[in-house]
Amino acid sequence: MRCARRVPPFVSASRGSSARPSYADLRVGATWADAPCPVLVVDRHGGLVRINEAARGLLPGAASGDWLHERVPTWLAGAHQRISDGLRSTASGPLVGTIDNRLFEAYPTAGDDGDVVWWLVDDSGRRRAEAALADAQSRSEVLAEVSNALLSTLNVPRCMEVAASMAAEHLAEAAVLVAPPQGRRHPLTFALPGGPVTQVARQIDVSSVPGLAEALQGFPPVPARWINPDDIPDWIVPDGFAGPVGSVIVTPLPGHGVPAGALILLRSSTEQAFTENEEIFARLLASRAGAALSAARLYSEQAAITATLMRELLPPTLRSVHGVEYAGGYRAAREQVRVGGDFYDVHPGADPSQETFVALGDVAGKGLDAAVLTGKIRNTLHALLPLAEDHQQVLNLLNAALFTSHHTRFATLVLASVRRRGGRAHVRLTSAGHLPPLIVRNDGTVEEVPTHGTLVGAVPTVTARTVDAVLEPGETCLLYTDGITEARGGPLGDEFFGERRLRRALSECVGMPAEAIVERVQMLAAQWVGAGRQDDAAALAIRAPKAGPLALVNGHAGGRNSRRDT
Amino acid sequence: MTKLPPSEFTLRVLAGPTELTVRLAGELDYDTSDDLIETVLEQLAAHSELLDVRLDFTDLTWIDSTGLSVLLMIHRRTSAAGVRLHLDHRPDVLERMLRITNVLDHLTAPVACCAAPAFESDDGDGSEAEVDGATGAGAT
Repeated sequence: MRCARRVPPFVSASRGSSARPSYADLRVGATWADAPCPVLVVDRHGGLVRINEAARGLLPGAASGDWLHERVPTWLAGAHQRISDGLRSTASGPLVGTIDNRLFEAYPTAGDDGDVVWWLVDDSGRRRAEAALADAQSRSEVLAEVSNALLSTLNVPRCMEVAASMAAEHLAEAAVLVAPPQGRRHPLTFALPGGPVTQVARQIDVSSVPGLAEALQGFPPVPARWINPDDIPDWIVPDGFAGPVGSVIVTPLPGHGVPAGALILLRSSTEQAFTENEEIFARLLASRAGAALSAARLYSEQAAITATLMRELLPPTLRSVHGVEYAGGYRAAREQVRVGGDFYDVHPGADPSQETFVALGDVAGKGLDAAVLTGKIRNTLHALLPLAEDHQQVLNLLNAALFTSHHTRFATLVLASVRRRGGRAHVRLTSAGHLPPLIVRNDGTVEEVPTHGTLVGAVPTVTARTVDAVLEPGETCLLYTDGITEARGGPLGDEFFGERRLRRALSECVGMPAEAIVERVQMLAAQWVGAGRQDDAAALAIRAPKAGPLALVNGHAGGRNSRRDT
Repeated sequence: MTKLPPSEFTLRVLAGPTELTVRLAGELDYDTSDDLIETVLEQLAAHSELLDVRLDFTDLTWIDSTGLSVLLMIHRRTSAAGVRLHLDHRPDVLERMLRITNVLDHLTAPVACCAAPAFESDDGDGSEAEVDGATGAGAT
């Protein structure tokens, strides 16, 4: 019975040869019937001779005696035909084709009697896995490419451009990047694959695009299939987009805590709708773009703040005031975002009989904190100008203004009050924890002014000793910050420029104008540092000019003032 | 100050029952100061019965203004906790900075002169009152 069932006694009337023992039976026995893969035995005319259990499952209703071409797709029937006609060898590799949406490799073995045994191996799983792997590989390649392109810029518009064009290139027929509003308008970036990217700022109704308002708030994206393409307003469709919109993805660009915008991907109705996998990929791409964009945005905000502060904190250009020469030089640290902590100011007296108030200082620390404190000190000192005569009082008030319980950030500074009497410049100097000023005498000696005091801003009370000095015509007093003496470099690369070298350099500057001295000191320190790390450095020179006492001062002859005394 | 080795900044903590010693090595500056203050504040909070904090500068090779700022902050916190700060084995670079900025006396003054009155009574209660010391150190 078993045998009879498997090998029907009469298979087909039309092709009489089938009843004889098949070559397949002789060669491999009857076990093929139990093979897990579909097996078909087909005679040279294209008639099914036998068919095993697995094949019956694949081709329901097929039975011995049927025509092959009526039961299987043409790729297989055609191949059989070619083998029967001798056009194709059975050894020439597997054929591949689909049957019932499954992918099969078909291996023929030909028998001497002209029958061909077709072994069908279901390959769908492997193919799917291979396709998924290739897909995943190409996606991670795309993501890496996107990240590289995005991270190479910290410029926000450029970042948006790259994100939109990459998305259009790899995912859609058009990509629109909607950034968070600036004022009333949203910056929009439109991209078509391979096409130009356009950026505009427009007032838009975010609620007009389904899911956009949510995406801009950082909510998870609405599945693409929920978005009706007919609801998409015209403004979102870039010029040059082919045909009506078929499917849409709206996905948020997650930023650092706040959404960096939303990415809208469009496909025309003639294209395939976005698959679930593509939606996931779009989200991955959006997250990379979002991270890059918010980094760029943070950076540009910081850069803008720095630029604003720098403008505000830039030291003034100095000139001669009331017959005394002033020159200042400031060299910011090389690290870009770190705004300087060094400062100087010269507040000219109301008239030549009044003292000119000079301050040079250095705030502990770096960066914005230091910059903010610097601004505070300069403003406070400006406000205290009416009291400038009494340095100790100025320092007390400044200390009280700066002293806070939050931190112990302090400043050190030198105050100088300068007035010209006769040909000489009378200078009252007070150091508040700062490096002592140096005076370059006409004979080349360099003196340290013995003023000494407490730093300001970190301790409850400060004391300071004011020292009077007189500059003969041609003599200079130099105030400087530790950026000069602590410039690290030299032949071994790790040596300080130091006070000794500064003094020696100054002793060679006898008779030089104030500006030239400052320039020279800065140049030497910079040369000393070479390519090494460079901190803020400021220097300010106060010089009694060599010219006679009747030099023109602000358009007036300045001789008279020598009689006034305080 | 020649031939400074690019020494790594390290802190070694020796905690006794009433005395904490932190031994610094390397450069105390903008990049390393946070380590010091964090370490000291941690210890201050952990050991409420401390009477003295000693910073040992034997192996200090450099200090910048941020480093000094941190010393001032440490002093503020130790004073608030009724603990005396000692700056031991000061190398020239530190000595010079303290001299120029005129804060050596302030930093090493006995506690009584600077301690916030609120904490003095706590101190008087004895070392059992662990919480007081911890709050004192943690308060800003």
